[in-house]
Amino acid sequence: MITRIWLTFKQHRFETLAITVVCVVLTVGALIEAYRLSSLNVPISCFNGSYEFSGLGTPTYSAGAHCQALVDSFMGLQNGLPMNLVRIMLLLAPLLAGIVLGAPLVAREIEQGTAPLSWALSGSRRRWLLGKVLAGVVLLVPLMLAVGLAAEVLEGALDPGVDTHAAFQNYLGRGSFDVFWALAAFAGTVTLGTLFGRTMPAVIVAVIVCLFVRVAWEPGMARIVLRPMAVERTQMQGQFQTFYGGGNGVVIAPIAPTPSSGPSPSGGPSPSSEPSPSSEPSPPVIGYMPYWVQTDLYSYTQVFLDGKPFYGDPYTLPGYQMQFDASGNPIYPDPSTMPNWVDYAIPGSQYWPVVALESGFLLLGSLVFGAVALLWVDRRRPY
Amino acid sequence: MGADGGASTATATAALVAHGLSKRFRKKVALDSVDLSVPAGSITALVGPNGAGKTTLIRVCMAFERPNAGRVEVDGVDPWRHRSEALRRVGYVPQTPAVYRGLSVEDHLAMARSLHSGFDADYARRRLDQLGIPLDQRADTLSGGQGAQLGLAIALGTRAKVLLLDEPLANLDPLARREFIQVLLDAVRAEGSTALLSSHIVTDVEDACDRLAILGGGKVRLDCPLEEARRTHRLTDADSPPPGATAVGSFLGKGGQKVMTLWRLAGADTDGADGQSAAPETTSLEDVVLGYLAAGRGTAGLQLN
Repeated sequence: MITRIWLTFKQHRFETLAITVVCVVLTVGALIEAYRLSSLNVPISCFNGSYEFSGLGTPTYSAGAHCQALVDSFMGLQNGLPMNLVRIMLLLAPLLAGIVLGAPLVAREIEQGTAPLSWALSGSRRRWLLGKVLAGVVLLVPLMLAVGLAAEVLEGALDPGVDTHAAFQNYLGRGSFDVFWALAAFAGTVTLGTLFGRTMPAVIVAVIVCLFVRVAWEPGMARIVLRPMAVERTQMQGQFQTFYGGGNGVVIAPIAPTPSSGPSPSGGPSPSSEPSPSSEPSPPVIGYMPYWVQTDLYSYTQVFLDGKPFYGDPYTLPGYQMQFDASGNPIYPDPSTMPNWVDYAIPGSQYWPVVALESGFLLLGSLVFGAVALLWVDRRRPY
Repeated sequence: MGADGGASTATATAALVAHGLSKRFRKKVALDSVDLSVPAGSITALVGPNGAGKTTLIRVCMAFERPNAGRVEVDGVDPWRHRSEALRRVGYVPQTPAVYRGLSVEDHLAMARSLHSGFDADYARRRLDQLGIPLDQRADTLSGGQGAQLGLAIALGTRAKVLLLDEPLANLDPLARREFIQVLLDAVRAEGSTALLSSHIVTDVEDACDRLAILGGGKVRLDCPLEEARRTHRLTDADSPPPGATAVGSFLGKGGQKVMTLWRLAGADTDGADGQSAAPETTSLEDVVLGYLAAGRGTAGLQLN
């Protein structure tokens, strides 16, 4: 098997070398960028400052000149070209690596007429394909693990003071997810290559499908698969996201979320759980988020009417628009006839279950694609 | 035996047998109820024009194509039902030299060894050494003849009982063709294996093969030993048929001045063929093949002024 893996690498030496070089460069680049950010040693309190304008003079930074210089440097690095390049590549690398390696694996054998030679020698085409797929997995897993870990380190540097394992900021583009994205793209593209028997069509279709899946994945998962993990945002006060410079930041001290209180599609929350953040007692302030950090994963907004889930268009309800009497005084509608929006989100404490579940889905998708390829390679013509 | 060639009773010792084998590609019939028997230990030339069904027949034997009707057995095994068992018994040389461009000759042997448990890499290496093909040379830098030899060495290295060669000579120069056939002959004689060599170059297979199968229009037109094919046919002009002979087909003679007709002699299955002389005259293999190919196409367009 080692011989076959090695020969597969030699056979696809361009793809192997290109992916290896890109991944190594990307890993090193991400670590360098993370180091540059971390080496600034910006105190978290510095991020809480804001620019104050007085007349026509230069705006001053409320946290002090020293903080201003540090934050400016931080932002300069964060918005610089190298950082943007690294972050875009970190996002695309797993998909591209899977596509570039997966497309020619079977398709090129068919295009170049070598499949009849291999299939005549190997009694089992499935074993032949497994050997080639194994070579791809052996290459992709360590490289993508390195890229994913570097992305994790970079994320930590971009969000100082935040536990990246309890926040969903860019969670699909770092850590072990890179491995699973790459494997799914690889398996899917191998399957397309086996179905089409041509490399370029497989690449084109794979790019379109992968981009669509990547974009649709998070909202799809959050609204459908992860729905049972969602809790009302009112129960998560202190974990809300906010924007850097917007108000006083946000308190980190969480009120313990109660995942078990997540809504059921049929029932929804009880009327007593209607949100009224202004009337809730404020949790104790023990710290501040440095800037925009997504500690929770947005799930969905549910409309309730009279304490029950409402699935129609709330804007058509009779009480929604303000009515006036003959004297021009507003007629206040019965509150129970007014629609009530409730935000649900998945708290950061659910980070690892979410990662496990979504990784499992990606792995399952890879296995399904692989099974289709194995079935089809057994049936198709080698030319 | 084919439609015109009489019945074969040698299926018990046949290395490759096809019974009523049919294969269609949409409306195009590639094989039409083909019955063929290739005796063990023989080298059979499978001859026919382009589109006759030669490649399809070999591909069905390799389980690359599924027959629409009938069946084929390679060394007693149906390749479509028991693919891995059948392929262990077959060495295959494809039409164009199928080599991995980025791999060396030695890499090809290593790959064959990793894919085929019984592959004899030393045997293949010796064959290539004898031909002076460097093992460390990249396959994409081999000449056409060397590429074909590499394909043959891999097929021979499987030590298979049956060799299926799909027009391996088509793209080779005359010297490379001669070398290829010599290597094939040596190996088959030494190993006692069976070979089915598909080609449309009659002169190349004439010296190498001991048996002839002519395919035309998806049907077997003739299937008999080479010597019998020569002995039992006569080529004359259309106006002077041998006594009791049956016309096979007419085609333009050499020089293009005269329409010639191939005749199958009466009592062709018996020794002596025409029964008129102790040392019977023979017809060239090329004329026999041309006659059957012309029969497949019809004689339209062959009338001269």
